[in-house]
Amino acid sequence: MAEPAPTAKNLTVLMRSLSAQPRQTWLWLAPYVAIGVFALAMLIVTGLLQWRELDTAKSALEGDMHWAERTIENRLQAHQDFLGELGRDQEFKQLTYEAFQVRAGRYVREAPEIIAIVWVDIDGKVEWVAPNESTATFVGDQFAGNRLTALQEALRIRHTVVSPDYRDATLGPMHDIIFPVQRGRADLGAFIAVQSLETMLRATLPTAFTARYSLTVVDAENREVFTNSSVKPTDRQLSGAISLDLPNNRLGLNIVAYRGGGVWLTFLPAALIIILTVVATITLIQLRRHALHRADTEEKLRAAYAFRQAMSNSMITGLRAIDLEGRITFVNAAFCRMTGFSESELVGLKPPYPYWPAEEFDRLQHNIDTALAGKAPASGFEMRIMRKNGERFDVRLYFSPLIDTNGQQIGWMASMNDITEPKRVRVELKRAHERFETVIDGLDSAVHVADVHSGEILFANRAFQNIFGFDCVGRDSAQVTAACRPNTEWLHHDPATLGADQLPCELFDGELQHTLSGHWYHLHERAIRWVDGRTVRVQIAADITDKKHIDEVNLQQQKRLEQTSRLITMGEMASSLAHELNQPLSAIANYCAGCVKRMQAGNYKIDDLLAAMQKASDQAERAGKIIRRMRDMVKKGDPNRQPIALEALVDEARAFADIEAQHTGTQIIVDLPKNLPNIVVDRIMIEQVLLNLVKNGIEAMSDVPFERRQLTLQARQVDERQLEVTVTDQGHGLAEEDMEKIFAPFYTTKAEGMGIGLAICRSIIEFHQGRLWVTPRREGGTVFHFTVPIEESTEDSDE
Amino acid sequence: MSESSQTIFVVDDDEAMRDSMTWLLEGEGFRVVCFDSAESFLNARRDDMRGCLVLDVRMPEMSGLELHEKLEALGSQLPIIFVTGHGDVPMAVSALQRGACDFIEKPFNDEDILSRIRRALELDAELSARRQRDGAIAHRLDQLTQREREVMQLVVAGKLNKQVADELNISMKTVEAHRARVMEKMGVRTLAELVKAVMTVN
Repeated sequence: MAEPAPTAKNLTVLMRSLSAQPRQTWLWLAPYVAIGVFALAMLIVTGLLQWRELDTAKSALEGDMHWAERTIENRLQAHQDFLGELGRDQEFKQLTYEAFQVRAGRYVREAPEIIAIVWVDIDGKVEWVAPNESTATFVGDQFAGNRLTALQEALRIRHTVVSPDYRDATLGPMHDIIFPVQRGRADLGAFIAVQSLETMLRATLPTAFTARYSLTVVDAENREVFTNSSVKPTDRQLSGAISLDLPNNRLGLNIVAYRGGGVWLTFLPAALIIILTVVATITLIQLRRHALHRADTEEKLRAAYAFRQAMSNSMITGLRAIDLEGRITFVNAAFCRMTGFSESELVGLKPPYPYWPAEEFDRLQHNIDTALAGKAPASGFEMRIMRKNGERFDVRLYFSPLIDTNGQQIGWMASMNDITEPKRVRVELKRAHERFETVIDGLDSAVHVADVHSGEILFANRAFQNIFGFDCVGRDSAQVTAACRPNTEWLHHDPATLGADQLPCELFDGELQHTLSGHWYHLHERAIRWVDGRTVRVQIAADITDKKHIDEVNLQQQKRLEQTSRLITMGEMASSLAHELNQPLSAIANYCAGCVKRMQAGNYKIDDLLAAMQKASDQAERAGKIIRRMRDMVKKGDPNRQPIALEALVDEARAFADIEAQHTGTQIIVDLPKNLPNIVVDRIMIEQVLLNLVKNGIEAMSDVPFERRQLTLQARQVDERQLEVTVTDQGHGLAEEDMEKIFAPFYTTKAEGMGIGLAICRSIIEFHQGRLWVTPRREGGTVFHFTVPIEESTEDSDE
Repeated sequence: MSESSQTIFVVDDDEAMRDSMTWLLEGEGFRVVCFDSAESFLNARRDDMRGCLVLDVRMPEMSGLELHEKLEALGSQLPIIFVTGHGDVPMAVSALQRGACDFIEKPFNDEDILSRIRRALELDAELSARRQRDGAIAHRLDQLTQREREVMQLVVAGKLNKQVADELNISMKTVEAHRARVMEKMGVRTLAELVKAVMTVN
């Protein structure tokens, strides 16, 4: 009844998991989408941040560039202004060499980019050089090349000119700022400030600036003249160009910002995001695969669990798991079904368990202790436990250790089988066998089973063993039962030739006498298929000796009854005859007496007397009719005459007479000569006569001593027609006068008796054309003689 | 000796027997009534029947002996002469023990039956006289009051008047008065007569 519940539960779980399949795909897509969206967002954010940073850097760069331009221009302007001051003083001859030295020396110290200030004549010959220690130009040096061209250009246009850049071997790239000086229309020469580009950049721009940016000075043709760093920034994204408009010389300053970490740094977040996304996706995929695998495994596990559950539920063996302390940890449906307790009622319980009946407590406690000690027998425990409703039943409990996956024993598993039925069957079987044995052994009949071929006795019951010996099983039945065995010719079939399809088969059914004990047996023998398949003879022998005896006695009794009833009929007939006759006779007497009385008294009417007399004669007639009717009735008993041996007749009569003879202790001696011819008589009638005479004889000897109580039956052939039979007793004998009277009807010498016996006997004998008479025995006693006709033999007819 | 009120009742299933018995007995001057079966006699029977019953033992349906038993149960005192066809000694003994007056075997001598009938009628007459006398005394006894009966019983037992008075806790005079009334009611003159009358009934 608890069985369908888990199945249903499993089913619903299965259904749910099936319906959840499409939703799960959605669920599985969502992380990918989320990761994609997240990665995109991050990239955008990172891009935005970089763009902003770039923007900020650019504006910072622009600011810096602007400032740098100003600073440099201011410095250049300052240089031109100083050169102008010197020129004006020269023009007006107010400048001496010493003053020049002091002022130019001071200026050069303040502006380190100016290496030296030189006064050249119009031909380009150096006349003055300040400061004195300067190594760039020496007094007397002649300008040449570009420097000279630039000087001449400045003198021509009479305006400040900056010479193209040239490179000094030690001081690097430099140029000349040329300020021409005129007096009137005459050119005097020019003041030239030799400016080192490197120092200019270093001096005008602070270190913080130069550290941040890479500065490159290019000429008008955008050729690189000088750079402050040998490391070229690869990324030129953050760069700017300043154009320094020097007179007659265009210098450009390219500024490129150094970027921390380099170019790859900008791509790092994106790269990281992408890598992470990829990693996340891969992980997700792996996770998905793992989850799928896991779900699959779980499904399998669930199926396996459901299978196990179903198996355990459908099992008829009760299962119960207990931990090492005996606490119940699991019971299956069969166990619940058997005990009638639900799972929740049992799980968690420690001994004593609720299904222990009180009377079995000690035994069960001992059992569980033995089991927990690990000494449970392999054959299990047979015990009696109790259902919830109190009903007791027998079970067999097998214990086995419960091992977990780590190989550690965590408890004991017990399987329980309800053996009430098997036990009952076993007991029944045993009882049935006992019953069978008791019945078979209790039989009076001897039963045995023997192989048809070897004759070996396979089974014999006690009665058989009692007759044929207790060691008969295993021996040859032909030997054992030799004394009481039907001849082979008497058998209906030869058992050895019987086929399996002819079984069972009747072999013999008849009566047999045991040649040694003289007992009679009714043997019933049949061939059957034995339990092991071979053909055997089963013989049942019932001892019928007593029955045979009883049958004989019964036959005798029945005959006696027949006899008695015949006698009673005769007596009744006589009695009824007497009564019938009494009526008319009494009536006649009455009528006559009445007439006599009336006539004596003289008081009568003749008519009355006549009527009475008439009535009397009617009654006399009635009496006559009664007598006639009786005669008719006797006549009707037509005797059935048949030839019969006297011996057989005597034997039958004796069978009846013996009972009474034994009763009185009389010895009946039958002395018949051999080869007596058959007599032709009504068997029953002559038997009756014989019996009557024998009985009379026995009764006649009732008061003589026992040793004299001998009754002799003899016979002799008188002639070809008659046989004489004599019955001699040694009794009190008959008085002379009784000799003939005894044959008269209603005469008797006995105290009890109707007196009809001998009269009827004589009638019967006379009816057979014979004679019945009596003679006294000389030694005392009486001899009755009667003759009966002999069968007319064939020999006679031959003669 | 025979009284005119006496009747001889013949019960026999044989018509010839009834007729011949009637013939014989009427010749002797007896009154005869015949019945063909025990049942018809039982139906006609009255308590005041006087005479005797000549009863055939062997009859179909109810036998003579059975009828006898029935009559005894009814309290009949009619003397019975059994007539039987064959002398059955045990049956005769049982009949006589039951108080049947006589027994005769068929076929019988006319003198035998007549003498038996006469004897039976005498017995019947005697019995009816006694019945009458007893009836009279019983009637008188019935007329006594409870106290008178008590007094009479004590007197008959031989107690003196004084003893009677003591026992019943009444005065001598009262006893004498009761006693006189008892004598008067019972129609006796002496104590001896009273005792005889009471004894007869008891």
